Amino acid sequence: MHLFAVNAKPNATASLVLSWLLFAGGIVAYFQVSRDRHKDNPEDRVMPTVAQMVQGMSDAVLKPAEEDEALPEAATLSQKLKGSMLWKDTVATSRRFAISMALLVPAVLLGLHMGLFPYCGAFFLRFLLFFDKIVALSLLPILFIAFGIDELSKIMLIVIGVAPTVVLDVYNLTKGIPQEQVVKAFTLGAGDFDIAYTVVLKQILPRVLNSIRLNLKAVMLFLFAGEMIASTDGLAYRIALLRRHMGMDVIIPYVLWVALLLFVVDLAMRVVNRQLHPWFREA
Amino acid sequence: MPLIAIQNVTVAYGKPLRPVLGAVGAGINLDIREGDFVCLLGQTGCGKSTMLRLVLGSERPATGRVLIDGVEHNRPDRTRGYVPQKYSLFPDRTVLDNIAFGPVVSEFNLATRWTPGYFRRRREVRDQAMDYIRRIGLRESDAGKYPDQLSGGMQQRVAIAQALIMQPRILLMDEAFSALDPGTRREMQQLIRQLWADTGITVLFVTHNMQEAAFLASRVVVLAKEDPESGSQVALDVAPPARLTDSAAMEFHARLEAACSGIREAEEMAA
Repeated sequence: MHLFAVNAKPNATASLVLSWLLFAGGIVAYFQVSRDRHKDNPEDRVMPTVAQMVQGMSDAVLKPAEEDEALPEAATLSQKLKGSMLWKDTVATSRRFAISMALLVPAVLLGLHMGLFPYCGAFFLRFLLFFDKIVALSLLPILFIAFGIDELSKIMLIVIGVAPTVVLDVYNLTKGIPQEQVVKAFTLGAGDFDIAYTVVLKQILPRVLNSIRLNLKAVMLFLFAGEMIASTDGLAYRIALLRRHMGMDVIIPYVLWVALLLFVVDLAMRVVNRQLHPWFREA
Repeated sequence: MPLIAIQNVTVAYGKPLRPVLGAVGAGINLDIREGDFVCLLGQTGCGKSTMLRLVLGSERPATGRVLIDGVEHNRPDRTRGYVPQKYSLFPDRTVLDNIAFGPVVSEFNLATRWTPGYFRRRREVRDQAMDYIRRIGLRESDAGKYPDQLSGGMQQRVAIAQALIMQPRILLMDEAFSALDPGTRREMQQLIRQLWADTGITVLFVTHNMQEAAFLASRVVVLAKEDPESGSQVALDVAPPARLTDSAAMEFHARLEAACSGIREAEEMAA
């Protein structure tokens, strides 16, 4: 077996084992080090044990946050879940995430129009190329001053951070549509907006969705930055709050929970993309 | 009055301007009558496709005019069908939807595409598109396929049907069969020749293949440059003889060979 043979063909079992090996190695290494640290110092809070993480997470899932009122003793499981810290934080972050994603729709349309209508491109392109180079996080103080520390500034941070990239990506995708397609559509009686929305947008949409998928992490990054600095709820707010108390028993499950949420969104977008565009073959 | 009148046209590109078609004071003139099947021959870079784009309206001449039925058109429209060498089909649509695209999109705008009339008309157009699928020699089972599931020849058949369903007065074909293998190319030549005979449509067919031009055209126009720095001029404008066995046929081929010597040399060099 040659590990670095270009033409090697690992069988299904080998592929499966290899793909999970790093996960298993990471988990084993963590708990080994955690066990050793707890042997030396039973009060260690840097690397919580499984039991501590399970306890921390079960509190997050079933109990309200410290700043909220306690639930009555007779509360049902459903009431406990809905009143819990994790639920509250997840809903707050998801709402901001969803609004930010919705605000990317105009960005897609702007990129489409820039790529297709030369006057529109001439008007916006230079400005967006410049704007894209501004480090969004450096705008955070300006945004807090301009929009306050409420939701708007956090959402604006995401939009400013991600929208120019999406606009320019869609612009390039639109430019990549062969001119023959546009000419052909004209000869078939299509108007300018028919070409924009029924020819070009339909063709680039699967790639646009892929581009947004690749930017999901950037969306979350800006969202977390906003939440960590100025927020009273949300997953990142909680992580920042728990950091002060060294609450690693909740921070680590929260980080994994965020990764899982992003993974699910990414997977859902892939499935939707495949279902909506059966003709699309990914490169 | 000719259907297509190219009057004293020049085209030049680049900085400094490099003439492609015609020259200052000596623009290209060409009249094409309704029902002609004109093959535009010439070596690579002589401006055949530019000439086609002028007629299409996707390009404007530097000087001169291109008139369709006496009117200048400054953008492509449904009066002129177009079949390029590639990218002629919309990859996100099935064969049926590619063919039905034109009638539907030209009759309903984005706002009226949700009315009951739209869905009724769409059904009618799809039935019509099925007729075209049969007419171009595809199977009904191909209707639901996407372009990337078809061979090059099948794709070009669909592209022709897509253009013809609009019943344009002029069909412009830009090296439409160049990428096909010889057998498929021959089949496509027979198909387009038959469709031309059936519909009486005016065809402007760009090719650099002499045999193809001689087989297809009712008229062959050869574009050639006197020297590499000058724009192309019409070097030959001739109708193939009706019967290829008599002396007229030999004369036709001799004239074509002479006018196309540049093409032959270029093809030999490429080979």
